[in-house]
Order: sequence, then structure tokens, then C-alpha cells
Amino acid sequence: MTTNKPDIQTPSPHEPIELTLARLLRIGSFIAAVLIAGGIGAMLLGNEAIADRLITAGLLALLATPIMRVITAGLIFVREKDWRFACFCLVVICALAAGIYLGQTHG
Amino acid sequence: MLLQTLEIFLIAISAGVFGSILGLGGGIIIVPVLTLLFNVPMQTAVAASTVSIIATSTGAAVAFLQDRLTNTRVAIWLEMGTSTGALTGALIAGYLDQRFLYILFGLLLAYSGYNMFKTRKNELPEGVLPDRLSQKLQLQGSYTDRQLGKRIDYQVTGTIPGLIVMYFSGIAAGLLGIGAGIFKVPAMDQIMRIPFKASTATSNFMIGVTAASGAVVYFARGDVKPMIAGPVVLGVLLGAVLGAKLMVRLKSSTIRKLFIPIIIYTAFEMIYRGLK
Repeated sequence: MTTNKPDIQTPSPHEPIELTLARLLRIGSFIAAVLIAGGIGAMLLGNEAIADRLITAGLLALLATPIMRVITAGLIFVREKDWRFACFCLVVICALAAGIYLGQTHG
Repeated sequence: MLLQTLEIFLIAISAGVFGSILGLGGGIIIVPVLTLLFNVPMQTAVAASTVSIIATSTGAAVAFLQDRLTNTRVAIWLEMGTSTGALTGALIAGYLDQRFLYILFGLLLAYSGYNMFKTRKNELPEGVLPDRLSQKLQLQGSYTDRQLGKRIDYQVTGTIPGLIVMYFSGIAAGLLGIGAGIFKVPAMDQIMRIPFKASTATSNFMIGVTAASGAVVYFARGDVKPMIAGPVVLGVLLGAVLGAKLMVRLKSSTIRKLFIPIIIYTAFEMIYRGLK
């Protein structure tokens, strides 16, 4: 299939965005999994206070991962001077922030 | 207590496997299982399910990104629709008749289920001409299909209609708390003509972001109970990693056939809720 732009795969000095994001998501889910598994271990040993704290920390790490993912993608687009997609990321971040704010005040 | 945790964990693994293969959040499994089998209050179940959507998304996305199955540009373009839609949904909640919405979205799903059934034999979309915006935004993609053993290059069309549908799917998610991926996959498959595997992988990538803002709110309200959400999330995370490894080796048409009964079931369930 031919398109108007033959040079669509613009060579970039940086690694593809997919690999950066994959690494970020892997780290995020690994930290979350270790903390939650540790928490469940503590729960089985009967230490509820520690279990509660470890699991909560794990869940928060997991929760932060997709938000970090949008921010990181935005930064990568800024670095690549892809302003259009950087703006798209900004729209998503603002909508997320507004949603969180609204949910907490009107929930 | 120990047995219950183990049971929840095992069911969560299967929810993660299914969710990651189909690009869905898995709430369709998690919520009824927790409320009906384990007598968990609805609020706690929905909160745990929302956090587990992030687990499905994050756990599976690693494998999908590495295989380039996820179309990140399409995902970010469409996330604008889902995130602003979810915000709209939260804003207009209470002003709209929920029953009417259930019926409307139910019929919409039934229709896309029917379309999906018609195209059940197609492995890859053919003769897709990209629209001008799609070319401008460079939404086209390519991935290596491990099942077919070749590189698949594809074009994307329906850029604006796709965004509009995502906006409404975001509203549905924000208002009714359902449909993490159930609207996204058919929109990418049928409107944007993206190969089915790339559609489910991209949906999987997107659902984590929409769920994150909801999850923060549930967290702040104290609806996330670590003793319930912990085993669910760990199980789903593990299931999603396994499911993603399996998914890249499945044919698009197989995944589509798995998707059809789920979409039909959800359509009927929503229409029933609206009529009840």
C-alpha cells in the first residue's frame, strides 16, 4: 500500500516508544506484585497491620503506573518534537486530573 | 479465610487470562464472583474490579508492546475520547435516566455483536484505505504475528468516527461503571478496521488509563479493601501475563469467536437491566 509519505518510519536516535513504555509497565507491575505478594504472605502469618500496609502500597504502585505511562508518553513526544501527540497526552492528563478532583469533591 | 483467599486468587488468575486475551477489564467475571460467591459488598467488589482492570492492562501490555501489537498512537488518540467521555459521564450522572442508557448501549452492543458475527471468518481486514487524518497522524501500524508467522502491515481508517465512539464509551464507563473494553474493541475492529489482535491489544493498553482515575477516587473514599483487592489484583496480574503470552499465539479469528458470546451476553444483560 502506498501513502503520500514514503518516509513514514522516521529514523529516531532513541529507542521506540513501545520499548520505553514496556519497561515502565514491567517495573510498575513488578513492584506492585512483590509488595502485594509480601502483604498476602504477612496476612497468612497473621500480621494484619503489616499486610494491610504492604498491600495498600502495592495497589498504589499499580495505580500510579498507567498515569506515569501517559506522562512518560507525553514526554517522549515532546522530545521527538511531535507536538500534536504531546498535546493529545496533555488532554488525557487534564481529563484524568479533573476526573479525580470531581470524584473526590462530588463523590 | 485462607481457603477463601486462595479461591479468590485462582478465579482472579482466570479473569486475568480472559481479560488480557479479549482486551476487556474482567469486571464481567470479578464483580459477580465477589458479590455472589463471596458475599463481598457491591462497592468493595466494584472498587477491587476497577483496580484489577489496571492489573490486566499493565500485566498484559508488556508482552503486547514488545510484539508491537499495541498501536500506541491510536491508543493515545482514542484515550482523548475515553478520558473526556468518562469525565462527561461523571458530570452528567444523575441528570440522565440510567435505564434508557442501559437499553441504548445494550442495543449498540447487540448491533456490533451482530457485525462481529458476520465477519467471524475474516482473519485480517482487507483493502483498508486510510483517511486523511489517519495519514496525517501516522496511525498505521505493523506487527509480527507469531501465529501466522509473518509481519502484518495495516492501515487505519475512521479516525474521527472512532474518536466519537470512544467518547460515548467513556460516558458509558463513567455513568454506568461498565464497558472498559467491550465498546473499544468493536469500535477499533469495525469502524477503524484495525486487525482484531491489534484491536484487543490496543484496548488492553487503554483500559488501564481510564480505570486509573476511577481507582484513585475509590481509594480516596476507602472502598478499596486491601484484604479483598490484594489477592484479586495479584491473581489478575499473573493471569494477564500468562494470557498475553497465549494471546500472541492465537489467530485473530479465534479471538473474535471468543469475543462474540461475551458481547452478546453483555448486550442482553444491559437491555435486561434497562427494562427491569
